[in-house]
Parts: sequence; C-alpha cells; structure tokens
Amino acid sequence: MFLQQVINGLTIGSVYALIALGYSMVYGILELINFAHGEIYMLGAYLGIIFLAFFTAIGLTAYNLPLALFLTLILSVVFCASYGFTIEKVAYKPLRNAPRLSPLISAIGVSIFLQNYVMLTQGATDKVFPHLFGASGFQFVSVRMTYLQLVIILTSVVLMVALRLFVRNTKMGKAMRAVAQDKTMASLVGVNVDTVISVTFIIGSGLAAVAGLMVAMYYGLVNYFIGYIAGIKAFTAAVLGGIGSIRGAVFGGILLGLVESLGGSYISSEYKDAYAFIILIIVLLVKPGGLFGRAELEKV
Amino acid sequence: MLELIDIHTFYGPVEALRGVTFEVRQGEVVCLIGNNGAGKSTALMTISGIMRPAAGDIFFEGISIKGVSPHRILRMGISQVPEGRRIFPKLTVRENLEMGAYSGRGNAASLLEKVYTLFPVLKERHKQAGGTLSGGEQQMLAIGRALMSSPKLLLLDEPSLGLAPIVTSKIFRTIREINREGVTVLLVEQNARAALKLSERGYVLENGSVSLHGRGEDLLNNELVRKAYLGE
Repeated sequence: MFLQQVINGLTIGSVYALIALGYSMVYGILELINFAHGEIYMLGAYLGIIFLAFFTAIGLTAYNLPLALFLTLILSVVFCASYGFTIEKVAYKPLRNAPRLSPLISAIGVSIFLQNYVMLTQGATDKVFPHLFGASGFQFVSVRMTYLQLVIILTSVVLMVALRLFVRNTKMGKAMRAVAQDKTMASLVGVNVDTVISVTFIIGSGLAAVAGLMVAMYYGLVNYFIGYIAGIKAFTAAVLGGIGSIRGAVFGGILLGLVESLGGSYISSEYKDAYAFIILIIVLLVKPGGLFGRAELEKV
Repeated sequence: MLELIDIHTFYGPVEALRGVTFEVRQGEVVCLIGNNGAGKSTALMTISGIMRPAAGDIFFEGISIKGVSPHRILRMGISQVPEGRRIFPKLTVRENLEMGAYSGRGNAASLLEKVYTLFPVLKERHKQAGGTLSGGEQQMLAIGRALMSSPKLLLLDEPSLGLAPIVTSKIFRTIREINREGVTVLLVEQNARAALKLSERGYVLENGSVSLHGRGEDLLNNELVRKAYLGE
C-alpha cells in the first residue's frame, strides 16, 4: 500500500516537476511569475489529442503506435514552444521595463484568454484521450506499476537530466545562468538577452507540453480548465523548492506528488488538493526562500 | 577611434549627460574624472549601448553606434569593466572568463592563457565561485573577463574603487600593460591623481558635460583640477 502510493506519487510528482521547471526558469530570468504557463500545459494535452486523432485517422496509430505517439509528442512540443515564444513577445516583452505588476497582470490576462480560446474552439465538456495502453503493467512484489507510469517517470527523468546538462555545460546554458544573475552584465559580454529569454520560454513550454500530453494519457480526460489547478500546484512546487532553482523545482514537484498521494490515501482523499498548500505554508514559515532557494527573495 | 558628439542621455527623468563631447584616439589611455553624479558611468553605459542617448551621436571607427544593442557593440570591439565589477557570483572564475569570450571574438583558449598569465591568482581559483573572491581578485576577474573578447577599446569604470592601495597600484600597472599591448583604454576614476598620471589625455566631467580637457600632466598641474579633484 505504502509503496504503491509512492509509485503513484512519483508519477504525478514528476509531471508537477516538469511544469514547475517552466515557472522556475522564467522566474529565474525575468522575475516574472508566468501565470499563463499552466495553460501551455493544457494546450499540450489538447494538441496531443488532436494530433493523435489525426494519426489515427490516417491509420498510423494502428500501423505503428510508438511512432504515432512520438510524432504526436514532437508536434505538441513544437506547437507549445511556439505558443510560449509568441506569448513572451506579445504579452511580456513590451512590458519589460514597466512596473513589476504590469507583466503579472498581463500573464493573468493571457491565461484567461487561452482558457476561453480553448473552451470556444474545443467545447466546454471533457475530451477523452484514447486508452492506448489499457492498464497493462507489471507486478513487483506487492507493488503494481503500469507501463504508462514507468514511461512518465522515465521521460521526466531523462528530460530533467538533459535540462541540467544543457544549463551546466552548453554555451546557451551558461548564458542563461549569466542572464539570471545579471542581465546588464550579460549583455556587456555580448549575450543577446532577448534570445536567451526566448529560449527560456521555448524550453519551459516544451517541457509543459510533454507534461500535458503525459497527463492526458494518464487520466484519459482533458478539459479547458486543467491548466489552472495544475499550474497552481506546479507553481507551489516551484516555490516549495525555491523558485529560480532548477533542482528546487524538481524536488518540489516530486515532494508535492508524494504528499498528495500519501496524504490522499492515509489521511483523507477529500483534502487531496489542500495538502500541497499546507506543506507550502510550513516550508515558507521555516525557510522562506524554499528548500533550495536563496535567502534574499524579496521580489514580487 | 571613439567619438562622442553632443550626447544627451536621460537617467529616468534626470538628464545625466547634457551634451557631452569627447574623443579617444587609437592607442591612447584617456580618463574621465569628475565627482559622483557627474555622469561618468552614464557616459560609459551610453557607449556600451546599455543606455540610449536622447540626442547626439557616437562613432566607433567611423561608424555610428548610437542605438545599437550592447551585444553588437561588444562584437565591434568595445568591452567594458563596469562599476562594481559585476562578477557573475554563482559562476566559477573560469565560467566568468568563458562568458567574457561569449562573442567568439579571438581565440578563447589563447586568450584564457593570456589572462591567466596576467593574473595568476585567477588560474589558482578557477573552480571557485566568482562571488567568493576578494575585492581585488574580483577586479582582476572583471578585467580578465573584459579582455576575453579581445577588445580594441577597453572601458574601465572605477577599477580602484574600494581596493587597498597596493592592489590599486597593481591594477593600474596592469592597465598600462594592457594598453602597451595595443588596447585603447577609456578610464573613469575617482582616484584622479593615479588616473591622470596613467593617461595621455583627460576630460573633466561636471554636471553632465565636459568642463575641461587636456593632456594628463597638464591637468595634474591645473589649478582648478588640483583644488577640486586632487584635494590640494
């Protein structure tokens, strides 16, 4: 029972972590809480349904399921990344030098716009993501893990490791860290800060798209409102870990998933959504910067 | 090489530069001296493209760089060591230097060797986070980082600020050395005496415009300069 809940918690926690990374990276660079980020995740789920339906219609899904899923994933990521890129250019960049509150309001506006845009074009009712794997999985002692859970956890781990290597070792990754620490100085050494910001949005949105697609497969149901609660939880995860920190977002996400899953089964599942925030309040009281955060976090 | 013509720059609502005109010739060391708030740092930030002048024009090697973005200006060969050094605190010393070479001007490996020869202490500490260095070491790192883009013109903002006299003289010797190797230097300093000694020519900035200019030694002997900036 306990181990079973740990597996379930890790699954959903790694999805939270993927979304939290987008919040944390954007905050690290722009000190902006990108409230539209949850909507990108929601778009990822919808785009997954749309592209998979297309591949099913042309017969690819029946012919080669892994290929159809892979193409669905790639296309969702590309579309969500373009959404993220465009949102930054249209809604945040013009407000780069405005008072701090303005881009925040703009972010909320984008979020509301995207929710309603999807509701109008896709309808207000739940959409079903086809059951591709059924409940097939494997038994390990007393724990049962579905293949889908395994895929979700492995995909998340691979993406997080790849992100870490990217940020640590590549030229663009170093530029991102430099911009996060001092934008003016970064531009004085020749970094095009606008490009770095765009890349940050593209990566964050791509990760959210993967999360959206995986959750759509996991729960099987999608509606235009799923970005809201997932966004708030992932944001909580990012704050829990220390917003701005990549490591913090990963740990925060996984911790949140575990707390929800264990709390839901041992205490009461009716308060499932509240556990996240109880933990958040405790962490912020004890360590205001978050688990891996900087102490001097007075901004926003 | 560098020419500012009647530059006006606003810092918020404040007009920080009110028609600044000066030039720096190839191979020179030129200093800007003046009190706090006279507009020295604003002048450097305007040259680097961080601040946009409201009026006037700036030419570098005959090309107008007014309104050009900072990363392009760096690629043209103007590198700045800003006030307060602005080391990337969480990057290692080595990564800070690598960021200096971000533009890909010149050969990064040989530039790194050169910087390590100039400041051996940076080589010793290459794995340490930039923020943990002492003030003097950070200044060396900031200069080293600026040299990593193999600049034609080096802008230095208050390199002696907050440093012990012995470190200051080491920094000034290094600046001379860098200049001998063919890098033109524009130096902003509160330490007017040391700056004027080092410089071929100097400009005195007062309330956002040039009030006086001349050869370094002439300014050192100038009555007004002695009174206002050398504390005599």
